[in-house]
Amino acid sequence: MLGSYDFCGHYEWTFEWFRARGGEPLVREYWDEAIAKDSQTHAAALISAKGIAGMKEYWAHTLAEEAAGYHCTATEKVFRIDMHECPSKGFLIRNGLAQYHDYCDHCMGWIGPMLKRAGFVVDHQHNHCGKCWWEIRATSDAAPPSEPGKLSGEPDVRLRADWEQPTPLDTFRRANDPDDKTTS
Amino acid sequence: MNQPNASSSRDPLPYADTKPVGAADFYLAINATFRFVLGKFGIEGLRQYWTDLGVKYFAPVTARWSAGGPPAVAEYWRAFFAAEPGAEVSVSESKDAVTLDVKVCPAIKHLRAQGREIVPCFCQHCYFIGEAMAAPADMTVRIEGGNGSCRQTFSRRAAVTAPQDLAQIKEARC
Repeated sequence: MLGSYDFCGHYEWTFEWFRARGGEPLVREYWDEAIAKDSQTHAAALISAKGIAGMKEYWAHTLAEEAAGYHCTATEKVFRIDMHECPSKGFLIRNGLAQYHDYCDHCMGWIGPMLKRAGFVVDHQHNHCGKCWWEIRATSDAAPPSEPGKLSGEPDVRLRADWEQPTPLDTFRRANDPDDKTTS
Repeated sequence: MNQPNASSSRDPLPYADTKPVGAADFYLAINATFRFVLGKFGIEGLRQYWTDLGVKYFAPVTARWSAGGPPAVAEYWRAFFAAEPGAEVSVSESKDAVTLDVKVCPAIKHLRAQGREIVPCFCQHCYFIGEAMAAPADMTVRIEGGNGSCRQTFSRRAAVTAPQDLAQIKEARC
């Protein structure tokens, strides 16, 4: 049986299985069709109906269930997540699992298109070491991402001494697509 | 290459997490993944996906079964189901076989609770993955039932001559 306990392991393995058969387009299609539009339909329903209130409701449940180390900040205009210990990337790092070249892209791979359909865009960075941040605003809101510490205060993951790592830092600006990023 | 974690010499599960049980909502993604593979590659493609998972992703488990035989198989499944939310499974072992009496399949239970459309051949994944894991360890698995409860028997390969009858594995329904 495929289990939920090590789900992130066989999930990540599956990305590479798809990439080997259909290239990156098939991986992107999987994230949107299977995850955003099938597995996570409850997230899409909540966020489409309730906007930022739906985001608070969805991520409060799912991040608690996955035992993540995180902090959420919500205003009327923006929803922010500071992820200090990503449970899935952490699982992969601890167990030495790395079949696909960039596991972290899967979040933008399903969340990005799902939020686009709900009328939101994403500012996001991930450091490939289990730390990332997200700011989600209405597509009509042209506000730039916050400066470090200005929106979420001390829990802003960018203030951590270990935020900058030797691994690449991927940056998304007003994005909904996992390939709409710059890497530094 | 998949590398087992550092504590693998003691933990029956090769990939360890910091939380005691998995998140049940991941069953939603497993079911959706099967549906996606089925739509893209057909039933033979889905069976190949399951077989590849069994051979490659679960290779560290197979290595333990090869070294430890039925006691290692039983130890693995006891630890596995202890980490699956909502599972009710008893594991019994003899000298040459291990039987899993799955009273409540945690995946089917959760998919039903969430009102999800279950891929009808969902329960076949236990056969194709289990067989791919067992064969290199000179064992084989046979499954009866499904759709929420089943019996899975892992035996020495030489003791079983008849192939798995897939008709003995029920279709899954909401």
